[in-house]
Amino acid sequence: MPSLKDLKIRIDSVKSTRKITKAMQMVAAAKLRKAQESAERGRPYAEKMRDIVSNLASSVKDIAGDNKFLGDGSDCKKFLLIVATAERGLCGGFNSSIVKLAKSRIAELSSQNKEVKILTIGKKGREQLNREFESLFIGHVDLSNEKNITIDTARKISMDIISRFEDGEYEVAEIFYNKFASVISQIPSSYKLLPVSFNEKESDASNVSFNFEPDEDEILNEIIPKSIATSIFSVLQENAASEQGSRMAAMDNATRNAGEMIDKLTIDFNRSRQAAITNELIEIISGAEAL
Amino acid sequence: MTNKFDLTIISAESKVFEGKVENILVPGMVGDFLVLANHAPCISSIRPGFLEFSEGTSDKQKYFVSGGIIEVINNMVSVLVDSAVSGEKIVKEDITNLISEVDERLSAADTINKDDLGLRKNDLEEALKQA
Repeated sequence: MPSLKDLKIRIDSVKSTRKITKAMQMVAAAKLRKAQESAERGRPYAEKMRDIVSNLASSVKDIAGDNKFLGDGSDCKKFLLIVATAERGLCGGFNSSIVKLAKSRIAELSSQNKEVKILTIGKKGREQLNREFESLFIGHVDLSNEKNITIDTARKISMDIISRFEDGEYEVAEIFYNKFASVISQIPSSYKLLPVSFNEKESDASNVSFNFEPDEDEILNEIIPKSIATSIFSVLQENAASEQGSRMAAMDNATRNAGEMIDKLTIDFNRSRQAAITNELIEIISGAEAL
Repeated sequence: MTNKFDLTIISAESKVFEGKVENILVPGMVGDFLVLANHAPCISSIRPGFLEFSEGTSDKQKYFVSGGIIEVINNMVSVLVDSAVSGEKIVKEDITNLISEVDERLSAADTINKDDLGLRKNDLEEALKQA
């Protein structure tokens, strides 16, 4: 049985923990709103970009002359997995769910005798993957100094990825991140960045023949790096929103748990105080009776 | 009776303009061109420069864009730009900043990229003259 003083100390410490988690929850809620807003603002661009690329790809399909960025990546041997996680922890299963998905993909690819390389974005993913797959790492992007994700950051990352692609370091690039479904639900997902595959479903524009200026190949070389930067940008934004959502949920839980713990400890405290009082009374009464 | 078409200008971070316009002058990669209603479908890349369009008969709107892509299809024109600044707001400093940025990258870039960046710089200097 812990003493009264011990209980008091524990209650105080749980109370200050609750204060911290509560504050973190509120900060996350504010950041989440901002992240969501900027993700929404960026969405039209990303959608249009996807439209144009698929229009382009479907018009180029008929024309001979392979662009280096196009293909279905079916019989490629070298894979690059880009694992985008957060810079900070304390956000529930956010980081580990991405890492788990990436690990299962690594296992799948290695069993098929494919060559796997890893590039991480965000500190937490690197820490978790470093233990097992240190030899596969080819790079890491540090975002700890970026307060808000800008398109420039995404552009830098995509330039790095594309130059590695052109150097033949890998043939297929996949990116792993958490898709923002709602504040309480984030789905770990993967997305193939490179090569760009033809859109199978017929869009209403697929029958239109476009004029290209300059020619298709040059436009593709211009637009694909842009579309990759855009994809990375939207992935990072989704990730940022998911991280805050996940942190908010985790901190909400922690605050609630701390509250429950305080209630329990307070009951214990009151009981043992009452026990001490009763004990003292019994001693006094029995002492008086003995006289 | 003038024909109008839908124009959307979207930058990576926000929607810049959406509405019906009569014409739009685009700084295309191989030369400036004007898009009117019922233009044939086309996709073109845009060099840094000024984008000009008019909603009605008189007033023209001007945006400085730092490169992008334009898609014209069925009287729907979408312009995707890296960044766009409204012509009224544009200060020469902005362009000068861009030029110095390119300069910085020029000194760091390898030879293959140098040609592209040099071209970009020329475009920007041209735009600076117009501003």
